[in-house]
Amino acid sequence: MAANAANFFFANAVRIRSLGIVALLALFTAGCGVNAIPTYEEQAKAKWGEVQNQYQRRSDLIPNLVETVKGFAQQERDVLTAVVEARAKATQIRIDASQITDAEALKRFQDAQQQLSGAIGRLLAVAEAYPDLKSSQNFLTLQAQLEGTENRIAVARRDYIEAVRIYNTELRTFPGILWASTLYRDAKPMATFTIPEEQMRVPNVKFTK
Amino acid sequence: MRFAAAGKSLSRALIALALLLAPLAAFAQTSEPLQFPELTGRIVDRASLLSDAQRKELSRKLEDLETKTTAQFVVVTLTSLSGRTIEEYGYQLGRRWGIGQKTTNNGVLLIVAPNERKVRIEVGYGAEGILPDAVSSLIIQRVIIPKFRANDYAGGIVAGADEIIKVLSGGGEEWKRPPQQGQQIPDWVIVLLVLLFTFGPIFLAVLITWLTVRSITRSTIHGQKQKGKKQQTFWERVNSGSSSGSSSWSSSSSSSSWSSSDSGGFSGGGGSFGGGGSSGSW
Repeated sequence: MAANAANFFFANAVRIRSLGIVALLALFTAGCGVNAIPTYEEQAKAKWGEVQNQYQRRSDLIPNLVETVKGFAQQERDVLTAVVEARAKATQIRIDASQITDAEALKRFQDAQQQLSGAIGRLLAVAEAYPDLKSSQNFLTLQAQLEGTENRIAVARRDYIEAVRIYNTELRTFPGILWASTLYRDAKPMATFTIPEEQMRVPNVKFTK
Repeated sequence: MRFAAAGKSLSRALIALALLLAPLAAFAQTSEPLQFPELTGRIVDRASLLSDAQRKELSRKLEDLETKTTAQFVVVTLTSLSGRTIEEYGYQLGRRWGIGQKTTNNGVLLIVAPNERKVRIEVGYGAEGILPDAVSSLIIQRVIIPKFRANDYAGGIVAGADEIIKVLSGGGEEWKRPPQQGQQIPDWVIVLLVLLFTFGPIFLAVLITWLTVRSITRSTIHGQKQKGKKQQTFWERVNSGSSSGSSSWSSSSSSSSWSSSDSGGFSGGGGSFGGGGSSGSW
């Protein structure tokens, strides 16, 4: 009887201890940054989603802009078609979150977007010559929306660059590099923007009233 | 062999790290660090553009706005933008202070930098719907800048803040009118409602008459005795139906559970910003 009870107690103690060790190990590894790589990866992907969103938002504004300008400046056909074509090209290139490790794809994306920025800039510059267009309520509204969107793009790009910096640094620095080479072998550094923000932005055309 | 490989990968990692850090160091050298003022209240008047009375009055309005709508609106005047554009400074200031509620991100900043001659309405993620960029732009161009041009900074700030408060409280329709699309839908709805109210009763009367006639003809077929009873139940049904119908018209006002308990200290609710809003210069 007594031996049995002792045995039971012993077995329980072992089980409790092993459970404790597992719990400690889990705590230790979590503290050691085993979760850092997937966490930063998801954050960077979310930020990329925001970048994509804001470019999409700009793209959505363009048909309205083109229509408005057309109403006042029909003869500027070249500039208008350039914008429409650049938009079509830019919307074709979409990069979903799983592709952001591909630097080539990202470069294609930003080249297309930059082309579109240039085309919009030329359209706004042309609009300068049409006083009726400049003072039309529709155009002023669109212009404010476009400016706001450009600014949101800039913010989203900055947030993405920062998130990628954190993620890439984690992959290459001490606790992270261990996990990257063991648990997360498929985690690759992400690509980031190479064209400076100033070049991506639509040139700010100031209208003098 | 293994050691050599390990050494090589380590040195590669070090080089990579150095490459990563190099642009950071360069970045740190070229631009001075962002200086954010302390959030001392709903009005942070670092450039001293407002009088004490104006500050108190405006602060009360901003507090009212928050108790009514939970939206946090802060007015900031700055002596310097730390060499950044007002757009770059604005959203970072909003994020630092965490203006707006954490879940709804409904924060708004009115930023005035008199030395750079720049003004901006910075709109948090959640307030972009109620205060669109075009509205911010109009308020800046038509209300704030004319006063600033006439050197009436306090007047511009107060008038601009009043308009923003109006819009955030659900008013300010005159700012939202311009785009034609916005007006078509309400017109259409109004016409439909008018039609509903004028022709609805006629339609109902026709329907009721038809039903009554039908129930009478049916009861005459089934037997004279049940006629009275059947008619009554029908009218009971109509009455109960119409009463429940009218009660459904009363709009249920959702009471917000949020309340501002502390009247003295003010702090941001943890809202975030994504570059929404509009800027102007004078």
